Amino acid sequence: MATNQWWASESFWRKTAIWVTGVSLIVLMILTVDTLPQISAGSKRVPAYSVINYRIDYVFDETRNVQAPVIGVKEPLFGKELSEAEAEALVAHGKLTVQAKNCMGCHTLLGNGAYYAPDLTKAWLDQYWGSKEVREELMVDFIKDPSNKLHNSIGRRMPKLAVTDDEAHAVVAFLKWMSSIDTNGFPYNFKPIEQEN
Amino acid sequence: MIEPASLANFFTIFFSAAMVIMLGALYALLFAYSRLKHDPRLMPVAYLSYIGLFVATLFLADAANLLKHPLWPVIVVLMLVGYLLAPHAIWHLCVGTHAEEQENTELLPSKNL
Amino acid sequence: MATTIGRLDGANLNGGQKLAVKYFFVAMILFGAQILFGMVAGLQYLKPDLFYGVLDFSVNRMVHVNAMIVWMLYGFIGSVYWMLEEESQHEVVGLKLGNLIFYVLTAAVTVVVLVYLFVQIGPGEQSSIWLINEGREYIEAPRWADIGIVVSVLVFFYNVAATFSKGKYTGIAGVLVLDLLALFGIYFAGMFYTTNISIDQYWWWWVIHLWVEATWEVLVACIMAYGLMKVLGVRRKIVETWLYIEVALMFGSGILGLGHHYFWIGTPEYWFTIGGLFSALEPIPLVAMVVHAVFDAGAKHIKNSNHPAMAWLIAHAFGNFFGAGVWGFMHTLPQINLYTHGTQWSASHGHLAFFGAYATIIIAVFYLAMQQWRGKVWMAGDLPGNGWKWKWALGLLNMGMVGMTVALLISGYEQSQIERAIGGSTWMGYFAAQAHPWFMQGMWWREVFGTMFAAGFVILMWDLWSIGKHETRPMQVAASQE
Repeated sequence: MATNQWWASESFWRKTAIWVTGVSLIVLMILTVDTLPQISAGSKRVPAYSVINYRIDYVFDETRNVQAPVIGVKEPLFGKELSEAEAEALVAHGKLTVQAKNCMGCHTLLGNGAYYAPDLTKAWLDQYWGSKEVREELMVDFIKDPSNKLHNSIGRRMPKLAVTDDEAHAVVAFLKWMSSIDTNGFPYNFKPIEQEN
Repeated sequence: MIEPASLANFFTIFFSAAMVIMLGALYALLFAYSRLKHDPRLMPVAYLSYIGLFVATLFLADAANLLKHPLWPVIVVLMLVGYLLAPHAIWHLCVGTHAEEQENTELLPSKNL
Repeated sequence: MATTIGRLDGANLNGGQKLAVKYFFVAMILFGAQILFGMVAGLQYLKPDLFYGVLDFSVNRMVHVNAMIVWMLYGFIGSVYWMLEEESQHEVVGLKLGNLIFYVLTAAVTVVVLVYLFVQIGPGEQSSIWLINEGREYIEAPRWADIGIVVSVLVFFYNVAATFSKGKYTGIAGVLVLDLLALFGIYFAGMFYTTNISIDQYWWWWVIHLWVEATWEVLVACIMAYGLMKVLGVRRKIVETWLYIEVALMFGSGILGLGHHYFWIGTPEYWFTIGGLFSALEPIPLVAMVVHAVFDAGAKHIKNSNHPAMAWLIAHAFGNFFGAGVWGFMHTLPQINLYTHGTQWSASHGHLAFFGAYATIIIAVFYLAMQQWRGKVWMAGDLPGNGWKWKWALGLLNMGMVGMTVALLISGYEQSQIERAIGGSTWMGYFAAQAHPWFMQGMWWREVFGTMFAAGFVILMWDLWSIGKHETRPMQVAASQE
């Protein structure tokens, strides 16, 4: 048998390893450059923070064959229309609160996190809040002190996490904004709260 | 781009996907062992594993609706061809990379490292 | 040397190895912490009022996953220091600084854990992220600790790169240095705050995926390459050629395999096909290992001088194959991942893959370290008590892990149907699935097998502490080549 075939040599595979790694990284960079603008706030897939001034729904899209968020009529959160800067500040405060309280220690957001509590991707649209008229206040109340609220039949409860009134409002704003992100149909078969009058 | 699997197909997907990987490894294992031991009787068993992999891949492709959209059938074909050829290629690599060793040990049996 | 056989004696270790065993010691403590907090968190699924408002699930889970990341990093750093002097044939450069940094890093880890346990959460302000926790799964460590980690790791990187530069810069060294650079460079991707959760998760996955499915794998391949030469006497040229082959296959499939995390976080649809394709490629390096292992087993006449380490390396091969390969591929295609993403399916896969791919090989290195530390002592067959301790530890840990994995799989399977497909992941859908008997039984069995796993850990620690004690036989000759 011939020895030292070029395709079995150390130097060939060293070069191959370097090239494969390099090319993969370059492709990943190119894809990243293409993806980041598409998921920046204010893009088609990830709406601007001022989307919280509008009704958000989650409707089956025939052409894409999955559910997609639909931005509807003006429906300001807590009845107060916010400028882009105000909306961003509010959602940012909400996101900071979500991190500081380690919500992902129990919940999933966009499906990532822990599995001890429900996914929050479309929590804003959840039928559990009853009707859209009471939803906002119920959510604020719940986040501030969930310990005495009805959760489920298995006795699992969310603890009271010292969330202030401002923080709770901000978290609701964050949740409303997050529900407007186009997540390619995740979660599947979600039945949103009734929002038509 | 995708058609989500239907509830009835969940089990088929989990099972056939697991079989693809496990039969892929079994095929590779038997293939290598047969070549190593110069035992041609094992080779049909190896290819039988590959046929199992082939069938599992088709079940997976069907259950996960892979054949209904562009690009996904390409991935299915790549899997079928790739898993067939990978053990061959890697066996050649093993022989190729160890060729020098075998020669060296014949010539210089005492020289290590 | 012969006089110290059977006793722990620092004279048996070189400078890097003395530092390595410190890292191993902390790694073992954190491994224990991981198990303890995992069991408490698992118990809270069954007894939701346990420690409610005192030590909530979120805290236990955070400590559980963080302890894992840190003990594995400690295990890796220790393993690299372990092999550094022999591989480079040079004393570790800047060893004093390396020692100092070990204590600084360990003190920082201790403070982080204490803050996790006793402060837990903060107000919704930047200060919480800087001082308490970042609330981002796996990389919850507050920003001050991030910076500390980066500094520590830079010192470690300097030790490694400078030692290789002054000594022999081998092929393994080349891969290792570049891989460490990538591993730590990637950490920066997780060190910033952004309101936009899609961008947040985009970069978060760079850290998590490119660690676990790329740079960690290559780091382990470097340790393996060194181990194969050391333990089995495989020729360097072959080992290094195969290291390059594995790097090409792992990075070639793993880097763009990142795509399978970009299905549902807001990213465009083209990631479906990229993620699907590279996920289908990711088993190829595993197939390569199978073929090569068979080839090597035939080409070599193996006389193995450390039976526990060898057994754990075999567990590594199986664990990596089933945990990463089979369990990964079962739910990775987007057509099914839509239903399994973020359920106990992920937990099942995570448990088996982390344990199979990483915990096993670090445990193997622990055994190699103990053997050397006790003066290259006998660790082949005929151990006192027929080696029952390492065998039971191996059996209980592996069976415990497989049991937990299967239990979580059953829960996840039920969850993907009841919560995801039928219930649409709503609040009601979620709790309908959580209350289902299949789910609850899965959680019970997870706890039972978790207890088994914990028992295995206790015996493992006992064994590592006692194996080779009072042994008089020297190590069996490593290997004979044919």
